[in-house]
Amino acid sequence: MRDFSSSPDLQEPPTVSEAQLLSVLDTAADGIIVIDERARILIFNKACEQMFGIASVEAVGQNVKIVMPVEYAHDHDKYVGSYIRTGVKKIIGIGREVRGLHADGTVFPLELSVGEAATPDGRQFIGILRDLRPRKESEQRLADLQSELVHLARVSAIDEMGAAIAHELNQPLTALMLYLQAIRRAHSRGMDINAMVGDILDKAAAEAERAGHIIQRMRQFVEKREPVRSVRDIDPMVDEAIELTLLGQRHRIRVEREFAGDLPPVAVDPVQIQQIVVNLVRNAIEAAAPTGDPAIRVRTRLRDGNVVIEVHDNGPGIAAPALPKLFEAFASSKRRGMGLGLAISRTIAQNHGGDLLVDPGGNGKGACFSLVLPVAPPPVPSEVG
Amino acid sequence: MRVHVVEDDAGVSDSLSLILANLGHDVISYPDAESLFRSPPPDGSDTVIVDLTLPGIPGAQVVRWLLKMAAVPRVVVITGQSQSAIDHQLRGLTPAGVVRKPLTVEALARALPAS
Repeated sequence: MRDFSSSPDLQEPPTVSEAQLLSVLDTAADGIIVIDERARILIFNKACEQMFGIASVEAVGQNVKIVMPVEYAHDHDKYVGSYIRTGVKKIIGIGREVRGLHADGTVFPLELSVGEAATPDGRQFIGILRDLRPRKESEQRLADLQSELVHLARVSAIDEMGAAIAHELNQPLTALMLYLQAIRRAHSRGMDINAMVGDILDKAAAEAERAGHIIQRMRQFVEKREPVRSVRDIDPMVDEAIELTLLGQRHRIRVEREFAGDLPPVAVDPVQIQQIVVNLVRNAIEAAAPTGDPAIRVRTRLRDGNVVIEVHDNGPGIAAPALPKLFEAFASSKRRGMGLGLAISRTIAQNHGGDLLVDPGGNGKGACFSLVLPVAPPPVPSEVG
Repeated sequence: MRVHVVEDDAGVSDSLSLILANLGHDVISYPDAESLFRSPPPDGSDTVIVDLTLPGIPGAQVVRWLLKMAAVPRVVVITGQSQSAIDHQLRGLTPAGVVRKPLTVEALARALPAS
């Protein structure tokens, strides 16, 4: 193999065409690095100086490892050598996401594509690099905004249910207060209450607990938290969400639960899935309320390898003109709320690799919404290599 | 005095009966309007405590029915709802008292006739 460090070509001043080429490289927005067969840098353009904080004059002649974090740097020579020996392409012509090392020690994501050129001086490799940080940042911002919006919709749902939830809290508080006052009165009158006081205190404690449960359920739902996926059974999750929704209901309504009971687990963010169920059940109750005998049916089952949660109501169904905009934000016909419920619900479902579908019903049939979620993949032992 | 309590919440109904008995009243409890209507009607010297939120026949309808009786009992409404919701349901009705939840024994005693 020729030793390029002693190559006379490199010592000579660039020819006119070479100078032109270099100035073109320097105007490129992407970083461009050309290396020889021994991974020594031949060209390091302006964008690279900016990207890595190293001047071109310092970079040229050094091993390209200087712009790589240790874990890549360690094996890079081997990779180049192995390609030259075997011709098996691991990155050339493919491009992939790698990490780069700035002179200040910052490691950052890069998109790297590598081309190869045969020159009279031997093989050269041309790397084109793009700093992925701006793109990653905007992706992160989008994800943050989306989770903010999802949270906002949950808070808004609780807000809309607020009056009814306050009413629900009033019941245990009333009972608690009256039990305690009954004991207080008996005590201050010197009545012998030993026989019954234990029983009354138990009842009072149970009422306090009931109030606590209501608060707890609400808190879990509205608290701000990072979305977390975990592998869960869907039935208890749906059941809890129905209970939460009924808390906030003024209407008395029949709720039939038809749970499959033996469904495979799903990999989901439980709070977000419950948010969808709360939304669907609230809508169903609202749709069914004007009928003489309002009833809804919530069913879980397996369909085409997916877990499906269906929420039926016995209302009039969804009118055809409302159907095209049903899942659009702010298109709601309701006077209360933000009209975000179904739009956000569908977004959450799709983020989980599932979907939210509707059968509008009509002609004496109520509407039915189906939340479809893929079954969690079976746990795989972590790959080696 | 005899006090009828129409309240569907078991905890509220039970504690209310206890405190009313404690105050020296005879208490009859009903879980809903329908069971009140099936029982011997209250007379003019009785008090009827009605929760506005009942399953089935709503509390306001019970109030309307009671206030139309020949011998009108004392009608006390209890509720945890907002003032506007209460006003809306009780349009044109004037029960002897409206006590909002959470209830206290003092508020209840004020709404009941001195015995």
